Amino acid sequence: MSDVTLARKTGNEQLKKNIAKLSGEFSYEETAYHLPVSYALTGTAVHTPAAAAEVFAKTADNPLVAAECILAGETAAAGKEPAPYTGFISDTVLRKLGYSLVDGSILGLALIVGSPKSAESAAAICRELQEKYMLTFLSGGVVPTLSEAGVKLGLDYRLIPLGSKPLHSVHFVDIVTRVAMMFGGVAPGDIHRLLAYAAERAKAIVIVFPGLSDEDIAFVDGMRVLGFPILTLGGYEGGDWVPAAPEEVVRKGMDLKGIRVTVTAIPIPMACSPAFEGKSIRKEEMQVEFGGGRSPAFELLRMKNPGEIEDGKVTVIGPEIDAMKEGGAYPLGIIIDVTGKTMKKDYEPVLERRIHNFINYGEGSWHVAQRDLIWVRISKEAYAKGVKVEHLGKLLASKFRMDFPQLLDAVSVTLITDPEKVLAAKKEAEEIYAERDARIKGMRDNDVDTYYSCTLCQTFAPNHVCVITPERPALCGAISWLDGKIAYEISPSGANQPVEKGALINAQNGEFEGVNRFVKKASHGEIERCSLYSVMEFPMTCCGCFEAIALMLPEVNGIMVVNREYKGMTPSGMTFSTLAGTIGGGAQTPGFAGISKNYILSDRFLQGEGGIERLVWMPAQLKEELKSRLVPLLESKGHPDLFDKIADETTAATIEDLTEYLTRVGHPALAMKPLM
Amino acid sequence: MEPDLNFGWTSTVGNVILGATKSEGGTRSKSYTLGGGTTLPFMEKDLSFPAPLIAFEICDDPRYWSPIVNDFCGDLVNDPGAWAKTAETAYGADLVRLCLTSTKQRDFSDIPAIGKTVESVLAATTLPLVIEGSNEPKIDSEVFLKCGETGQGEKLLLGTAEAGRYRSIAAAALAYNHSIIAQSPIDINLAKQLNILLKEIGVTRDHIVIDPYTGALGYGFEYSYSAMERIRFSALKGDTDLAMPQICAPSDSLTVKEVREAEGPARDSMAIEWEFTTSLAAAVAGAEIVCVRHPDTVKRLKAAFAGLSARTEV
Repeated sequence: MSDVTLARKTGNEQLKKNIAKLSGEFSYEETAYHLPVSYALTGTAVHTPAAAAEVFAKTADNPLVAAECILAGETAAAGKEPAPYTGFISDTVLRKLGYSLVDGSILGLALIVGSPKSAESAAAICRELQEKYMLTFLSGGVVPTLSEAGVKLGLDYRLIPLGSKPLHSVHFVDIVTRVAMMFGGVAPGDIHRLLAYAAERAKAIVIVFPGLSDEDIAFVDGMRVLGFPILTLGGYEGGDWVPAAPEEVVRKGMDLKGIRVTVTAIPIPMACSPAFEGKSIRKEEMQVEFGGGRSPAFELLRMKNPGEIEDGKVTVIGPEIDAMKEGGAYPLGIIIDVTGKTMKKDYEPVLERRIHNFINYGEGSWHVAQRDLIWVRISKEAYAKGVKVEHLGKLLASKFRMDFPQLLDAVSVTLITDPEKVLAAKKEAEEIYAERDARIKGMRDNDVDTYYSCTLCQTFAPNHVCVITPERPALCGAISWLDGKIAYEISPSGANQPVEKGALINAQNGEFEGVNRFVKKASHGEIERCSLYSVMEFPMTCCGCFEAIALMLPEVNGIMVVNREYKGMTPSGMTFSTLAGTIGGGAQTPGFAGISKNYILSDRFLQGEGGIERLVWMPAQLKEELKSRLVPLLESKGHPDLFDKIADETTAATIEDLTEYLTRVGHPALAMKPLM
Repeated sequence: MEPDLNFGWTSTVGNVILGATKSEGGTRSKSYTLGGGTTLPFMEKDLSFPAPLIAFEICDDPRYWSPIVNDFCGDLVNDPGAWAKTAETAYGADLVRLCLTSTKQRDFSDIPAIGKTVESVLAATTLPLVIEGSNEPKIDSEVFLKCGETGQGEKLLLGTAEAGRYRSIAAAALAYNHSIIAQSPIDINLAKQLNILLKEIGVTRDHIVIDPYTGALGYGFEYSYSAMERIRFSALKGDTDLAMPQICAPSDSLTVKEVREAEGPARDSMAIEWEFTTSLAAAVAGAEIVCVRHPDTVKRLKAAFAGLSARTEV
């Protein structure tokens, strides 16, 4: 058992002695990068012992530099090792390897160094690396061990035997540094960018078998500077080397370095594509269903710590579909566990919403609603093709990985069909829902300095800019402030960008210097000012996706709201579609604003115009939809009777009817400050 | 009074170099520097500002090519080298764009043949080359590696990268110092996003040419025009993620109903008319390379560009 910390110390001293003993000249053929590690770190072309000493001193006795110079010296003196050993790899071959890395046909690089005790477990590790599209370099005793066990080596097999001694692993490092210079635009000598490139871009891991000398340990440990995790299969202790068992070492290494195997095909017996998203499964087409008020069902996505879950694992607890009666309703719990280095707890609900899309992508699976209200169906046709409950899990595990490759490292899915266990797990899930609600609820615009923009709709409304605040969701109703924040974190160059509020210009209308600045830029100079809470003065632009339109009715000194679903005429003399055509396309139209339905329930709604007391008319259906939330809200604002005073098409179809109705019920808007 | 043609713009379209001469490490007779525009096309104060380049498109498997062009060009279509040479010497093209249509065959796997074709075209013409690689994602990796490798040193323009499919082509550009065409479906935001993706993978903006996708005139070209114009505005206003030269290939022009249904001698003139008008509009919208397939379109465009460039005070 070697102690890494101790060995490193004596090893470094030994390297220092050996580099001083160098003699003669040394260089590699077919490269423009001299001794690549030294060249990358310092910009100096090393070909002589004097230059080696100089670079070694300049890099504060870097063990990688020492090892590189020593190996180059040895190679110059003794010549290249015979096949199968490759020794130093030429620039031409490297260009091809680098191509495969950028291109994605190789996911990452692995170095295996040392002498394995068992050929079998070394071969198994290599096989796993091959299966996971890693390009593996070998040096030291591992090469003869594998050859003797009949493992085929060579570039075609993605197993490259660098040399017979552990010292030959220096070539692994010179490859990474050359890739950084060739592909990463790292200038020789720019040590800062080199380290950043190696840490962020070079997807490399190191697996160490026993048998390394102190010098070997010193320079292998030196690779940590480049951000490579060093995993050991035993024989070493201490330092920052990560111990691992042979069967988990590859997965652990790839997890630590964030190397992910991309999923391209989903192994389920039904087609899966957004094309099927809108297809519903009617009662007579359905094999079984879950939830929808007929049986308990829920869905939950939770974040776990790295290493806690096994990627791609799907577990079904309880009976499978073949034990369920045709046309029956059964309990279901969908629990998705995810890990990811950049994953945050805040993202859970946003990702959880994707379950809805993903299950609907399945040709024979259907999903509506969310949380503990879900309703899931599997079609008879899918059942006949062999689709089981388990396949919903496979679909979800694959889709989450495919759609969030940067965010998620591992996804596992548990599907519970056992009635008792569903109920127990549902109870836990409900506690989590409550915690989440508490986190978002009560968040006020004044509590944050940053809002989020949405310019997703600029594809068809070129100058439209949505500004999303905690109290004003996007006008389409689909993106909350938290969603915007998360979307920005997940995709920093996407359509949701942070908007610094800046200095306050007008508190009542919600106008801010920073928001104006942002809107001007994002609207390509078209829109100078934007009030977040006003319909009358500089309202936000409208794309075309708004859930509802708020517009002023000068005759009654009030504001009416009409939602997209309402097809009839409104007191303004225009239908929703006529109105939408008038105000959409990215224009700013004073007196009109596109809004989400939930915004009606916000304290900021119509703040610029004096508050919700201005609201005089809504379609009956929208009133009904909001009733359970709107009535208590109006009560809390001291207007217990206002809900009934808001007219709809049954009480006031025309502006004349509306004037008469509002006067009759004594609507407060009539007495408010004139709108115009 | 002469109007101010700058409108307060502060930035310029970035440069991209195509082709390398002997002294630049390649074998081309000339190289082009795209970009540099400070205002809208054909409005530069400097009258010597270069006109858009005309690329003549050839292919390596005429089964996937317009029958009108095949009939017009005759046997040349079976010899990409000779065709490329004719494009340079007889048609008067500025660039040759080689479309590797052979990769459209089902289960295509003859990668060495692609290398040979590229070599023969490079040997036959001295013009800088645009190469349209694979048509099948499965073979992208091998095809672009072969193209990139074969054209090493020549500063090719490789096409075409799309949002879901850009890694192989980016790898070829990075490994062998070529530039690439980044195509988005008539959408400025998607164009920008793709450029950002390319930037993240390491392709610098002086190696990217934007293809906004060109609809045929009368068949959606107005959308392309609008997207191109907005890309140009963004570039001039200082958005560096969109400040790249643009390329247009109105190849759809040869398949529109009017051209398809034309008969006899009208066939060629209809094809030329459609290709010419779409290309001219694309150049006016901001394309710095227009790609055409009918030999006679080249001459007409040349004349039109010369007229526009040599504008005099009215």
